[in-house]
Amino acid sequence: MTTALAPPLLEDTKLGPNAGGLYERLNIWTGLGFGIFLGFVAWVVSHATLQGSNWGTDMVVTCTMLGWVIGFNIGIGTFNAPIRWMLGHDQTHEDELYVAGVGQGRHRYLKYCTDHKVVGTQYLVLVMVLFAVGGTLAMMIRTQLITAHSSFLDPQTYNAIVTVHGMVMIIATIVMVSGPFANFIMPIMIGAKDMAFPRLNAMSFWVIFSAVPCILATFFLGGVNAGWTTYAPLSVQAPPAMDAFAMCIIVFVVSVTVAGVNTIVTVVTMRAKGMTMGRLPIFTWGSIIGAGLGLYAMPAFLLAMTMMITDRVTGTSFFVAAYGGSGWLWENVFWIMGHPEVYVILIPPVAAVLEIASTFARKPVFGYKVAIAGFVAIASLAIMVWAHHMFTTGWAPNLAGPFMLTTELISIPTGIIFLCTIGTLWKGSIWTRLPMYFVYLFIWNFIIGGVTGIYLSDVPADQYFHGDMFVTAHFHYTLLGGAMIGATAAVCYWFPKMSGKMLNERIGKVAFWLIAIGIQVTYFGQFWEGFQGMPRRVAYYDPQFLSANQMSTIGAYTLMAGWLVFLYMMLHGWRNGKIAPANPWHSKTLEWKVPTPVPLENFLVDPVVTSDPYTYGEGVPDGQEVPDFAPSDDPELVPAGSAGSGAQTDAGGDH
Amino acid sequence: MSFTTTTHDDHDHGHGHGPAVEGAENPGGHHEPAELRDHKERLALWMFIAGDALFLILMVFTWFYLRTLNSNGMWDAAQCSTANPCEDGLGNPILAQITRADPWHAVIIAACTVLAAGFVWLAEIGAKKNTTKGAISTPAGMAFLFMVLAIAMQIYQFQVLPFTTIDGAYASTYEFFMGSTLAHLLILAFVGLGLWIRSTRGRHAGGTWYRVRLIRFFAVWVALSTVILTVVGALFA
Repeated sequence: MTTALAPPLLEDTKLGPNAGGLYERLNIWTGLGFGIFLGFVAWVVSHATLQGSNWGTDMVVTCTMLGWVIGFNIGIGTFNAPIRWMLGHDQTHEDELYVAGVGQGRHRYLKYCTDHKVVGTQYLVLVMVLFAVGGTLAMMIRTQLITAHSSFLDPQTYNAIVTVHGMVMIIATIVMVSGPFANFIMPIMIGAKDMAFPRLNAMSFWVIFSAVPCILATFFLGGVNAGWTTYAPLSVQAPPAMDAFAMCIIVFVVSVTVAGVNTIVTVVTMRAKGMTMGRLPIFTWGSIIGAGLGLYAMPAFLLAMTMMITDRVTGTSFFVAAYGGSGWLWENVFWIMGHPEVYVILIPPVAAVLEIASTFARKPVFGYKVAIAGFVAIASLAIMVWAHHMFTTGWAPNLAGPFMLTTELISIPTGIIFLCTIGTLWKGSIWTRLPMYFVYLFIWNFIIGGVTGIYLSDVPADQYFHGDMFVTAHFHYTLLGGAMIGATAAVCYWFPKMSGKMLNERIGKVAFWLIAIGIQVTYFGQFWEGFQGMPRRVAYYDPQFLSANQMSTIGAYTLMAGWLVFLYMMLHGWRNGKIAPANPWHSKTLEWKVPTPVPLENFLVDPVVTSDPYTYGEGVPDGQEVPDFAPSDDPELVPAGSAGSGAQTDAGGDH
Repeated sequence: MSFTTTTHDDHDHGHGHGPAVEGAENPGGHHEPAELRDHKERLALWMFIAGDALFLILMVFTWFYLRTLNSNGMWDAAQCSTANPCEDGLGNPILAQITRADPWHAVIIAACTVLAAGFVWLAEIGAKKNTTKGAISTPAGMAFLFMVLAIAMQIYQFQVLPFTTIDGAYASTYEFFMGSTLAHLLILAFVGLGLWIRSTRGRHAGGTWYRVRLIRFFAVWVALSTVILTVVGALFA
């Protein structure tokens, strides 16, 4: 440790006049402009040439959406580097620095930026917008169902809203942890300076960004009335909105695949010296296992949606029984993706919860290796359970038993991970701050969601519950009550590092109680509806279900109020929050050992890891802190010129 | 977590903030040891290929699933029998079998992709030996030529098929195979053109030969997947 360091690169560092090249002229506005322009051109050309064919409108919609996606990504700069590579004109050093955000200040958040922290923040904002859209649609659904024959929405509009609510939430939950936290936090956690492929990282964000308008456009194209599962042949016969819906998924799959590969390669190849796989923070394990499972699931999603779109646009008959196709083919391919995808959503937030529990209980993750094995077991079993979604369809009745067995088996590693969470908290000196509130809520919700899932895996019980509101309540307890609350805990935990500001815990506790009560009232109401036999996805219902629906709707409004307070807390924290110390939770993992705001390339000096990430209190009597960081008088550890960085203000004494 | 610190000089793999490392392709880009870049890029490519292989497996699954169902009699007319007369209740034939695609078109396409992959391999050998620029650019140019030929042949096959997409499940899946092959060939041609242009500029000699190897991996995978789809389409129609 004798070499002098280069000066830190900051976002306000001045670069040469030609730095960035074409990137300098591109931003979100040029992306939107190019996207709209190319979409319009595609619409004009396809309308003129294809409208008269058998599938004219579907072709026109597909071409228009494709034009939008390609145009947007041209306009934002996604294709710059590949085309320059092809032409042999590699980017210069200053170009690389420019796209990393150097010298751009806050504008970098609206541009194609390769800094993983910028991409993580972009993802966080996108996820919040998606949740706002999906949540608004959810409130419209619950408002419709507050009376048995409400005239708030007509059935077609209701079905369209149910479909888009479902898919927007699925998209948002798939990326809600892998987007913001596996991008912003995870590379720092493992001692890396960035993701393995920074350009692919930026690409994954802007590609998913361009997918979002496609799904929102469905409302203006007749609506998709087939539910988020878009079962064939209903979806083959759906209005042209289905083409935009399928295009959204195809583009989304590209983004998730690229992001998943990047995550795994980053962890495998970019770890700091001494950061063995056995020393990886549990959140990192959850991220790569979730990403790996996504790589398995996404090709099936791509195939299903591509076949769907060709059925609609070119007249193929994969799902049209009269011409040799089969609706069961759709169900198989869709659920080969669909069930693993549930664990793609669940595993990263569960891992984040373990990370948080360890920090606030001041204890190592209980059964660290067992928990990792549990994640691997879940991922392995997840690919063998898809047909439990088809118990009542009549497909392969002989396979019902084996699929029931594999589905029930998956509850074993899930239970083990649950026990690891409890074991981590057990007899810990728990410091109950806002993230821990959401960890407790996660535990409560996840056990209800998990146990009710076992009922649904059972063939006889599923004969009764399938297609009714019990299923809706179950997966909302799992995905909202479990995964999304886990992600909320992660937001509360890592917000100080991401924003440099502390959240207001008083406001946060108000949000917490509203959310906690809202979830229970909403989904217990839906369990009640399910027990009574009310089918899901209906705009009108028999008055016998009225009380349960009113309970659920009141709960939903409470839940909405909670999320609005939570959103206010985040915005308030971002603008007016107290300056965050570098390590407000006195955590041991590496992301808390760098200054806040985190400088470009994260570490001014490369860390060499010498112990596991959870050495709380080891060998230190009377609860004194372990001196696990180099002495604070080391000049190379001075934060990178960042005002308010926590190295000086950290009250935890970690330094 | 306990750790000590080293400097950038020991282990630099970021945004080019630090001294250049021998073997880095672009002195202005991310300065990383060639071994690390090779490791990263190889791992990523293998994962993309694994995902693509799953897509291929599911396509082949779709083919055999619909062929086994054979709900419109399109796939295997020989199974019509007294018990399964391939007629509806009014005596109208429901046998929808159509003229099969000429397998030779697909064979020629597969052969072109195999040759393209072979020439990329030769380019890799040239790059690895770090000989003359032509030792890379000539086979790279040949590889690109065969990629273009394969694309042209694939488009021609679309035009001369004895059926269209609306002719039922067999026609649908066969044309889906062709569409998948075309998409792969277009990506390969983009990469192949890049290899050719860059090799004529001397970009792939010496320390960055592993980049050509990456292209070879992908080219071999495209050739392999084309051969698999050709065999399935020809032998299990």
